[in-house]
Amino acid sequence: MIAALAFYVFAAILLVSAGMVVSARNPVHSVLFLILAFFNAAALFLLAGAEFLAMILVIVYVGAVAVLFLFVVMMLDINFAQLREGFQRYLPVGATIGVVLLAELVVVLGGWRFAPEATSLRFAPTQAGLHNTAQLGRLIYTDYILLFQASGLILLVAMIGAIVLTLRDKGASRRQSIARQVARGPADTLVMVDVRSGAGVGEIGILRPLVDEPEPAGDAHAGHDHAGHGHGGHH
Amino acid sequence: MPMRGMIMPGTAMGGTTDMLAVGLFHYLFVGALLLVLGIFGIFLNRKNVIVILMSIELILLAVNINLVAFSAALGDLVGQVMAMFVLTVAAAEAAIGLAIVVIYFRNRGSIEVEDVTLMKG
Amino acid sequence: MSGTSMNWVLALPEIALSVCGMGILLVGVLQRRDTFRFCSMLTVGAFLLAAVLVISTGQGVGYRGLFTDDAFSAFVKLLVLAAAALGVVVSLDYNEHANLRRFEFPVLVLFSTVGMMLMASANNLMTLYMGVELMSLSIYVLAAFARDELRSSEAGLKYFVLGALASGLLLYGISLVYGFSGGMGFTELAKALADPAHVSPGLVVGIVFVVAGLAFKISAVPFHMWTPDVYEGAPTPVTAFMGTAPKVAAMALLVRVMAAPFGHLLGEWQQLIVLVSVASMLLGSLAAIGQRNIKRLMAYSSIGHMGYALIGLAAGTQAGIRGVLVYLVTYVFMNIGTFALILAMRRRGRMVEGIADLSGLARRDPAMALGLAVFMFSMAGIPPFSGFWGKYFIFTAAVQQGMWALAVIGVLTSVIGAFYYIRIIKVMYFDTEGEAFEARPASLSFVAAAGGIFTTFFFVFPAPLVAAAELAAKALFR
Repeated sequence: MIAALAFYVFAAILLVSAGMVVSARNPVHSVLFLILAFFNAAALFLLAGAEFLAMILVIVYVGAVAVLFLFVVMMLDINFAQLREGFQRYLPVGATIGVVLLAELVVVLGGWRFAPEATSLRFAPTQAGLHNTAQLGRLIYTDYILLFQASGLILLVAMIGAIVLTLRDKGASRRQSIARQVARGPADTLVMVDVRSGAGVGEIGILRPLVDEPEPAGDAHAGHDHAGHGHGGHH
Repeated sequence: MPMRGMIMPGTAMGGTTDMLAVGLFHYLFVGALLLVLGIFGIFLNRKNVIVILMSIELILLAVNINLVAFSAALGDLVGQVMAMFVLTVAAAEAAIGLAIVVIYFRNRGSIEVEDVTLMKG
Repeated sequence: MSGTSMNWVLALPEIALSVCGMGILLVGVLQRRDTFRFCSMLTVGAFLLAAVLVISTGQGVGYRGLFTDDAFSAFVKLLVLAAAALGVVVSLDYNEHANLRRFEFPVLVLFSTVGMMLMASANNLMTLYMGVELMSLSIYVLAAFARDELRSSEAGLKYFVLGALASGLLLYGISLVYGFSGGMGFTELAKALADPAHVSPGLVVGIVFVVAGLAFKISAVPFHMWTPDVYEGAPTPVTAFMGTAPKVAAMALLVRVMAAPFGHLLGEWQQLIVLVSVASMLLGSLAAIGQRNIKRLMAYSSIGHMGYALIGLAAGTQAGIRGVLVYLVTYVFMNIGTFALILAMRRRGRMVEGIADLSGLARRDPAMALGLAVFMFSMAGIPPFSGFWGKYFIFTAAVQQGMWALAVIGVLTSVIGAFYYIRIIKVMYFDTEGEAFEARPASLSFVAAAGGIFTTFFFVFPAPLVAAAELAAKALFR
């Protein structure tokens, strides 16, 4: 009875937050409702005995996917008000179609029955005495190794894709080159200059640092010594 | 740990089982409603691609609820294995989808899809 | 539990190809210099290796029924590998000019091909799904590969959103089929569904969702909306690639799903396929007439071609499946050849895509005009080119099943379709001469010549191919 009650509570919150995901004004709110929906779906999984999936849903979805969404929403500078146009316009038609589709699905699913042979065809019946994670582990690493590896490939493709599309190496990033830092001696970077008292920098003939490294522009403040630049990587 | 999802083979065929806490139909109904909400979200938020991506996540969540419910009702783990793979693929899909949204935004300066007039559709 | 063993050797081509892919990725990442051409060559080599392995691998069911190797899968895999290799070759020159010289391109093509091979060998709904996703995710990235171009990223976005929706529907269908029958393996499903009297509405809805998801991948009407935009917006070599290999893999998968697990339910899905087929043929031939962009034209043309191929599936017989396979082979060669020539349309360093840009081509580049003319005649289904024979096998299979109406509609739409194919030939041969294109690189000439020779001389020696297709079709009807 408690379980049934819990089911209805979680299912209700899940559906309401899913509704908010699609109708919220602000995408940041949408993402937060999506997180709420994932948590409640995880609770439904728990009630159905899929403990491992429930935990994975929380860890992978809330921990990674939803945060990724949040990150992108906040990174892009989006005019949210403009994006809402058209929502009202499509609402009646969309709602009608949605209700019809839902009604059809309910009719179909309401009288659900299994094929007579369904029990005999089960590939991996649940075993008593083993917990859910162990049973799944036994399946995934043996019978489903092919698909397990294929899902690895899918993640690899996702990684390559995300990098190839978004990584921009304009050459402007200043990476640390450890070998160059270590190989650098005082002789390369340090110049001793005799300065007459009262003479300007221009008279001595030093306008730019003598080191061959490209220095950022705006370094007009040419002092008497340019040493100390080269050791920036050590701290 | 009590295995609430477990059922004896045979009892499942009645359609409802007491091991699922509530009937199978309740789970399927939640799944169907989530699916409809997801599709609804795609067609309603035609301008906002990020909400469209979230709607796709909702659809995949609906599928997972279905799979887990059937898995519990049948007493068969294959549904849960499938749900796990679906979760993996959904994560990959989210990554690629967001990457494409980011480059689209960089090129266009907005994420509106509807007034896409560059290519007649 | 089905009594099939692990037998992991069956997936050797896929394993070898994936390992090669990771190796090529490493080569590209670790080398500091430009490795695009080198990695592309390595990828073509990996495809060759995989093809050899496909031929030499034995047949059987492995991985506890997840994976099957039979004549059908071998046929499809070889075709997919050939198409993917040609796709990589045509991309060489374009990518170097369009500043897409990145080694990730061939690597993504390779992983997408691994997905297609998984699809060809799928013996379980889970393998089907993973294969489809591995293929599609790579192609989404490829479509958006020209990331600084609005057109390309828009194409990627459109393809991604609609593709993800389609795979969501496919999954929902899979979950319903699983819920009804208690299994995901094709063999188990065929057993559970052996008696059409047991069919429940839930199962039928599930099958409809699965068909919808796969119809999206072959861009059949009413799931074709993405095709013209994505074809036009994606970089042209990507269009060439996704117009050939993925179409073959998805069509083969649709054929296998319909024939193996749902084979006993022919009465339930036949009407659906007939409907989709007729709609695709009509749209493919009518909507293409007004097109001015040759890539959009090819998109509508591919919608139409998938409609014709579906006739063979609708017939539901061994002869029909054989027709589908022969059709796919002819389709791949004429399509990749056409795209090789489209890729050669470059003026002053810029690609042109208008049909009008071809005007008077016959006088300034007779070889190119002749090649395009051959492909256009073949697509229109004019004998003796290979396109005619593909249609011939399909239509005879339909007629044998008494599906006269379907065959007649097919013939009529191909007559309408011939109009716009022949219009291109008219533009090339009879219109005033335009500005010349830049010299064609050897890689494009090679692919166009290979496609042209196959298309022209298929009728001389069709027996081995038809026999192989026959064998492959037989494997589905054991």
